[in-house]
Amino acid sequence: MNPQVRKIADIDRVIHEPGRLMIVALLSAVARADFLYLQHETGMNKGTLSSHISRLEESGYVGVVKTYRGKVPQTLLSLTATGRRAFEQYRKKLKAAL
Amino acid sequence: MDQVGKLVDRPRLYCNVDGVGELGAGFMLLGFALLQWLQVRAPEGAIWHRMDTSCIYVGLMVLAIHYGSKAIKKHITWPRTGFVAYRPHERWRAAAISAPLAALMVVGLSVSIRKYWDLTTPGALIGLAFVAIYAYGFARAVRWKWIVAGVMALGSFVIAFLPASLLGAVANDSWVTHPVRAELVGAWLLSMTLFGAILFVSGGISFWLYLRHTEVPAEEGQ
Repeated sequence: MNPQVRKIADIDRVIHEPGRLMIVALLSAVARADFLYLQHETGMNKGTLSSHISRLEESGYVGVVKTYRGKVPQTLLSLTATGRRAFEQYRKKLKAAL
Repeated sequence: MDQVGKLVDRPRLYCNVDGVGELGAGFMLLGFALLQWLQVRAPEGAIWHRMDTSCIYVGLMVLAIHYGSKAIKKHITWPRTGFVAYRPHERWRAAAISAPLAALMVVGLSVSIRKYWDLTTPGALIGLAFVAIYAYGFARAVRWKWIVAGVMALGSFVIAFLPASLLGAVANDSWVTHPVRAELVGAWLLSMTLFGAILFVSGGISFWLYLRHTEVPAEEGQ
């Protein structure tokens, strides 16, 4: 296989999906953010956002903590060390491939 | 900057989505301007010339800004558009950027005053440096804030080109200004008032627009 094409094939497919890429990119710049912030920034509906977060959680890229803000339930999300490394690798590989 | 880079940058700009950053900065500059105005107007021996009074005044001002911003975030911003906690190194990022710039401004001011003994060059330079910081920190997130940056740049040039006698009169030719020239104190006082007022108005407009365009979502949990 052509090395350039191989680089593209090596790209992390979990992060490469546009919706998940938005979530990971936003979380990479913060310690943690809540579900509402991600919904507001990405413009996704709750269902879509939840499914992307579940996928990222299964991959070990995102940590989810359920808590309360006063009496309102709040979901706090953060990028794990694995997720942070995977995102850095993804950006490097994408730059190299393009 | 690539598209992913822009996304990564968004949480930093979210800090001033409600205009609270500008309101805080404007409040601080106006507070310092008020303190300096009190110092040049108050007679010799007044409490405003005492170091402990200045320290208490600045301390109270910093506390008001810190807890005021926190209260707005907690009760207005986070319930409407979400909560963000920044990484520890992000908090120091602003200080790391602004400290060398501030040092550069002070050095530039000293060198140009010693060399030319006029206020035009350093006044304009400091104004432009301040505008550059504003453009990076606030204006790149919202297009209309470039007008605010333009007004600031224009204002700093106007102050820099004001006659020395007028600037001296602003500082009241007070005994406080004797170690430094009265025009310098006057220019500094006018600049702080102008920038503080502009930031305060711009932050107020942002806050009003934020309240108009956002609402607290129905409480069904997240």
